[in-house]
Amino acid sequence: MDKKIQSLAEAYKKRPVELKQAKKDGKKVIEYIGHFVPEEMIRAAGAEPYFMCRGGEPEPPDAVLEYMLRFMNPLARSMMGYHLMGLDPVTPMADLIVAQQADCHIGRITELMEFNELPVYKVGVPPDWKKEFAGEYYYKALMKLKAKLEEVTGNEITEEGLKEQVEYSNAINESLRKISDLRKKDNPPIGGYEFIRLNHYSFYTDPKETAGKLEEIYEGLKDAPGKFKEGSPRILLAGHAVAIGDYVVPRMIEENGAMIVSDMLDEGLRWYNWDIPTEGDMMRNIWKTKYLDKVPVNIFQPAWRERFAYIKQLIDENKIDGVVWYQLSFDEIYDMECTCLAKWMKEINMPFLKLESSYEYSREAMGPLATRVESFIEAVKGGM
Amino acid sequence: MARNIYREFLELCAFEGQELEEMVPVWEKYSKKLGLTEEDIRYSLEVYIPKYWDIQYLGVRKMIGAYIREAIELAKTPEYKEQGVKIVYGILPAIATNYQAVKIAGGDKVFVSFPDLQLVTILNAFFDKVIDDYLETAEETGMTYGCRHCALNKTRIGAAYKGIIPSPDVIWVWGFNCDEGPKTDEYINCLFDEDWNYVVSRIPHDTHAGEVDDENVERVTYIADQLRHGQNAVSEATGIEVLPEHVAQANDDVRRFAFKTGTLTKLVCSGNPQPLSGSALTIFTQPMTVPMNTGFTYIEEALDIMIRECRQAKKEGTGILPKDHPKVGSYFVPFCVPWVDGIFKENGVATTFSTNFAQTKKNLAPPSYDEPYMVTAEFWLRQPVLQNMKYEVVGMIEKVEANKPIDGLLMGFFDFDRWLGAHQKMAAKLIEDATGVPTFYMESDFWEDRDYSPEALRTRIESVCQVVKMRKEMS
Repeated sequence: MDKKIQSLAEAYKKRPVELKQAKKDGKKVIEYIGHFVPEEMIRAAGAEPYFMCRGGEPEPPDAVLEYMLRFMNPLARSMMGYHLMGLDPVTPMADLIVAQQADCHIGRITELMEFNELPVYKVGVPPDWKKEFAGEYYYKALMKLKAKLEEVTGNEITEEGLKEQVEYSNAINESLRKISDLRKKDNPPIGGYEFIRLNHYSFYTDPKETAGKLEEIYEGLKDAPGKFKEGSPRILLAGHAVAIGDYVVPRMIEENGAMIVSDMLDEGLRWYNWDIPTEGDMMRNIWKTKYLDKVPVNIFQPAWRERFAYIKQLIDENKIDGVVWYQLSFDEIYDMECTCLAKWMKEINMPFLKLESSYEYSREAMGPLATRVESFIEAVKGGM
Repeated sequence: MARNIYREFLELCAFEGQELEEMVPVWEKYSKKLGLTEEDIRYSLEVYIPKYWDIQYLGVRKMIGAYIREAIELAKTPEYKEQGVKIVYGILPAIATNYQAVKIAGGDKVFVSFPDLQLVTILNAFFDKVIDDYLETAEETGMTYGCRHCALNKTRIGAAYKGIIPSPDVIWVWGFNCDEGPKTDEYINCLFDEDWNYVVSRIPHDTHAGEVDDENVERVTYIADQLRHGQNAVSEATGIEVLPEHVAQANDDVRRFAFKTGTLTKLVCSGNPQPLSGSALTIFTQPMTVPMNTGFTYIEEALDIMIRECRQAKKEGTGILPKDHPKVGSYFVPFCVPWVDGIFKENGVATTFSTNFAQTKKNLAPPSYDEPYMVTAEFWLRQPVLQNMKYEVVGMIEKVEANKPIDGLLMGFFDFDRWLGAHQKMAAKLIEDATGVPTFYMESDFWEDRDYSPEALRTRIESVCQVVKMRKEMS
């Protein structure tokens, strides 16, 4: 099992080299930020996508401070920080960086990219999603993106091309769902730490092959014995994002005797529970799935009651014993939602832990973090 | 005879005659509802206002008086609500137009205010008071101190939680360039007041660097649609129909006021010595963006007087500092922590205009549209806060050039604001390159000073003053 995950991890590491070769072969490299930017459109335009969501290290967020307010979340700051430190192999060769514009953190960081004369393209996502004309704004933004991608690549994005790419993505989603469903077992053969990594690596492998590789992993896991101690607490991990490379917290939760069996994260993981329909107008299908069908992201308004209802559903479906809210420092809207969630969790007697990360995982920072995680897990065990 | 502090305070604020007599008990009653003690008012009267506000001018005193009228109005809101008056709130950043249109349409049947902004402005700028009562209450509800939430939003939460302000019939929240503002109302609604009815108006920041936001017809149209939607939602919640002519009237009022503030800014910036402090200038310009339940009557009277007084001071060669003093412009003069301005003055440097409130030629140009909502939308998009950074910088450069001679530009004071604070270091570099005017970034908070005390900022301000004075002497 570990070897199979490792092979996907290797593919992730080799992706920049692949992209360099693809550039030499005349293909365009397009980075994208946020799941409201459909990678299927980039692929359908014949370009190579690269999902920008790296984090978990303290230096990159600090690298932007000459230009940027320090009270921005560390994931947004990392997006430019790695580049400023010369540690981002892809951004210098990117032909376009497509960034969703739904919140201020990404909004201002993409302006820092523009300030550094990077080729930014913005996709507007109005947060007031219940209004019909706001929805149309996002749809128009997608149509403009389509035109932009066609201009940059010189390739037309056809319905057939989009459908093909969506089918690949749906197949990946289905495989991930099957693997995730294994976590519903009393003692699952895979935990959240590995599942999150699998999910991450799926962004960087050839989509034609990814579902197959995930299927192999599923086949290897489905009858495998559980990997946790019997009676380990079942944890739902919720919040903004687990960035690629930011594995300290999920690993710590599982190393301390709990298992992450469900998740609700706005960014970083594929929205694997929502397939895009392949019948009818593909652009409309993409738009509707991302904007209207999926449970709203935190910045959408109204959102928090619906998100809580979804969390309750996940709690029931996955027999959750405790919820860990994983928050990035200075992420003000998540901080506010957390307060509401904490209240509602109390009302349903669900143990709830808020963890916050600035990507500072020094020995000094790890001590208190570990203590909080251990105490929470012990408390949850005590109440089971 | 014992002193009547309340009367003396109102006299300071240029109340007089019959109105003064009537307002003394009113002020005594409602100031208490806002949490102001007699001692707070005495401190303000004897120390804080004389120290930090240019009360040698009737215009300044009248303008403080206009804000005090708003404070009293705000303190009356629970009674208004009981009497059936419709309550409409809003938040910054916005322009006053559409809220004034509601007031024009509804008259005394509606109360219109940005309650948090008024509370912070009045209590902090004039009484040094806001922190204990409101911010800490909000933090106790869960707006964590360490996350650097906005003091305005925390004040709204604190005031609502404590019952200082009642649930509105509707709060129309412009989240055109703010994420936390609109979500604050969802927070209140989810956490402790399900009657807290809100409608939000938002637009993504998706124009590219240097794109001219207000010339993008699609963008103007979208904002106009949002404004129409919001205005209709307010009408539905209150039963007050806002007609296009009400919006047109509000547009005229706000544009007229903006034009006059442009005149005042020019007089202040071109004065040698400068006749008025930057903080005082800012309280005159702020009502462009904030509706007053008392309308334009009092603020415009104060503004007209101030313009006359500045002309007179200029003629007489008098000002707030000796002639030939250095001047620094600001992204936004932090008038709610007026001691910042005070320390600059102590060091022989005057703060002048705020790039956020100074007008470009385009701001004052006639609208490109006839339809009232399109007019408002275009006017709003001509304001710097709603523009992409590089376009905003173009306007900032124009303002710096237009208000020269200027010896420095002060940036910062928005560390809590992931929109208005996040881009300022980049903007500073671009402005400095383009104008040759040195820029100084100061991490601090525009609304409150718990984290950045005078002791903490004094050294930084003194060093900025030293640099600008040295540069001026050498030039």
